[in-house]
Amino acid sequence: MATPTATLRSATLDRILHDYAAVAARLPDAAVPRAQRANALAALSKLGWPRASDEQWRYTNLRAFEAVATFGPAAFEAAATAPAPADAGAIELPPPLPGFERLVYLDGMRHSASAPAGHGSGSAATAIAGEDWPPEQRLGLLCDMFASDSAVLRIRGSAAIELLFLTSAAAAGAGCYPRLQLALDADSELKLVERHLGAPAAPTLVCANLRVDVGRNARLTHYRLQQCGEQVVFADTLAAQLAEQASYSVRQVAIGAGSARTSAQVRLAGRGAALSWQAIAVGRGQQVHDTALKVEHLAADTRTEEVFRGIADERARVAFSGHIHIGASAPGSDARQSLRGLIEGAGAEIDLRPRLEISTDEVKAQHGATTGALDENLMFYLLARGIDRNTARALLKWAFLGDVLRAIDLPQVRRAAEHGAAGQLPDVMAIGALT
Amino acid sequence: MNSARDGVAPAPLLQVRDLRVKVAGQEVLRGVSLSVGAGEVHAIMGPNGSGKSTLAHVLAGRPGYEIVSGSASFEGHDLFALAPEQRARAGLFLGFQYPVEIPGVNNAYLLKAAVNAARRERGLAELDAFEFLALVRTKIKLMQIDESFLSRGVNEGFSGGEKKRNEILQMLVLEPKLALLDETDSGLDIDALKVVANGVNTLRAAERAIVLVTHYQRMLDYVVPDFVHVLARGRIARSGDRTLALELEKRGYDWISEQVAA
Repeated sequence: MATPTATLRSATLDRILHDYAAVAARLPDAAVPRAQRANALAALSKLGWPRASDEQWRYTNLRAFEAVATFGPAAFEAAATAPAPADAGAIELPPPLPGFERLVYLDGMRHSASAPAGHGSGSAATAIAGEDWPPEQRLGLLCDMFASDSAVLRIRGSAAIELLFLTSAAAAGAGCYPRLQLALDADSELKLVERHLGAPAAPTLVCANLRVDVGRNARLTHYRLQQCGEQVVFADTLAAQLAEQASYSVRQVAIGAGSARTSAQVRLAGRGAALSWQAIAVGRGQQVHDTALKVEHLAADTRTEEVFRGIADERARVAFSGHIHIGASAPGSDARQSLRGLIEGAGAEIDLRPRLEISTDEVKAQHGATTGALDENLMFYLLARGIDRNTARALLKWAFLGDVLRAIDLPQVRRAAEHGAAGQLPDVMAIGALT
Repeated sequence: MNSARDGVAPAPLLQVRDLRVKVAGQEVLRGVSLSVGAGEVHAIMGPNGSGKSTLAHVLAGRPGYEIVSGSASFEGHDLFALAPEQRARAGLFLGFQYPVEIPGVNNAYLLKAAVNAARRERGLAELDAFEFLALVRTKIKLMQIDESFLSRGVNEGFSGGEKKRNEILQMLVLEPKLALLDETDSGLDIDALKVVANGVNTLRAAERAIVLVTHYQRMLDYVVPDFVHVLARGRIARSGDRTLALELEKRGYDWISEQVAA
């Protein structure tokens, strides 16, 4: 086992190494090959555990990880020898989506018996292609080390898949490592719904990895709903690569977990590739939502549309870092970024960090980031119509999220997202703005 | 200042006395007095920067204005003691010159919430969805607005003319006692102006009053006022009947501004 250098040692990393040593021999090669786990361990040891002094991790609630009793995967912690599947019945599953094939993972392990037909194997060992996770995505290494299962999907033609990642009560205090490797063949199309649910009673790590490869002229719409319970420490790491004329639309709703960090990197590698990333995060209480998205324009005529709306209520902290790099090989690129934050609580905090880095001419790029309170002009308009102040505030908060929620074009998913978001905003729920 | 045309002076709906208002430390209204009775239509005209919009917004309760002195009463109640939403529910309506867009809040929701807030204030039962729809359908037709707009965000993506029509639609649905229309005619082509004017005229009634704030007299060809006031340099410089508006059309505002300055 690699040993971290003295300067990078931390109590959390020591615990990770200790917990890994305890389960390593029993972790299945079928999920992640042993060599890859070892590489991940070595890489994390070299990079060290993130520190708040590092700009990329400044707004992540790193302390929350300390509260997790063990980083070992829940199923392996519960059984000394073989993993025992927990009971999914204790978690209320959302109604099935018409036309979607459903895959259920419980505490990081495949639960449902059916595999989506014709989309490759639902759970298999495949060396995940691509380079190592960069420093700002190093939590991905944790999942590579500890994952006890892996969903591998290859899409040809057209498909609609719902992935439910559930965290059971039995996982409390341990780690769950959802893992997805997804490849879309050329000219294929996929609607993918990814939901994270479950509310264990003690601090529990849910640490997900997603590797996405969108082939030439393929279209992926990816709906991401994170609705975990408040005891969950959530971290997801996503790496996506788009080939020529490929399109990738992400609709992300982060409302659950006590602490959540999304580390995403999208590479627009083929000419004309397009990313649309629209996300909301709503925090209340002492929740922390932190997203770091890096988009690399590597080919000509590539496009990015990035929209983020965050609300921080009470003492919550919501952060979004949007870094778009347009490389020298990407003339004709078009990048638009709109980041907006709404501070609702006296102790709340919003941190928006737009960053456009352009290394070529002939590009269109615009970005805007604003943080503040509700617009007084809008407020007065509603008051002048006799709407009471509390209702007006609730309506405007709802409207603030409207851009992104309306962009969710699957009605059932949009409703789930709306109800989830409204659940974070009791005043919105109270006025019955949802229909 | 004004009296009803039949010579019997009813209690004014709106009574403004010697109102002085500052905006960002600058005195914009410098002693405005105005009395508006039920059944009357008043036009307040004046050059840009004369304080017309300020007057309308102060009466509606917009924050950011400092009331230095003077008073305003609405049906005998101190207007400035009421929050903006209370003024609206009491029956005061402000039609905005620049209606805001509120994507995510649909027109039907806003209208229904506004109607029911006013009804609660008056001790009336709230309208249910069917009653509301029946009410709003008749008004929509009058304003020549497509019904699909009800499910759209408030003023979202509307043209300037559509926004103004929407303002008048809201007014018709809410049936206020006093409507303050702030340059509702600005930016309208002649067809839209006629539709808007028709909507305003529909609201004319013995128990209601309308105050039109306007720069030009063309709106007054369609909504004929009982009284015309000219606001210049923060004061009402002259009052008269509709012929005053025609005179302004011919002579402009300079002569009045010069009189005030003198």
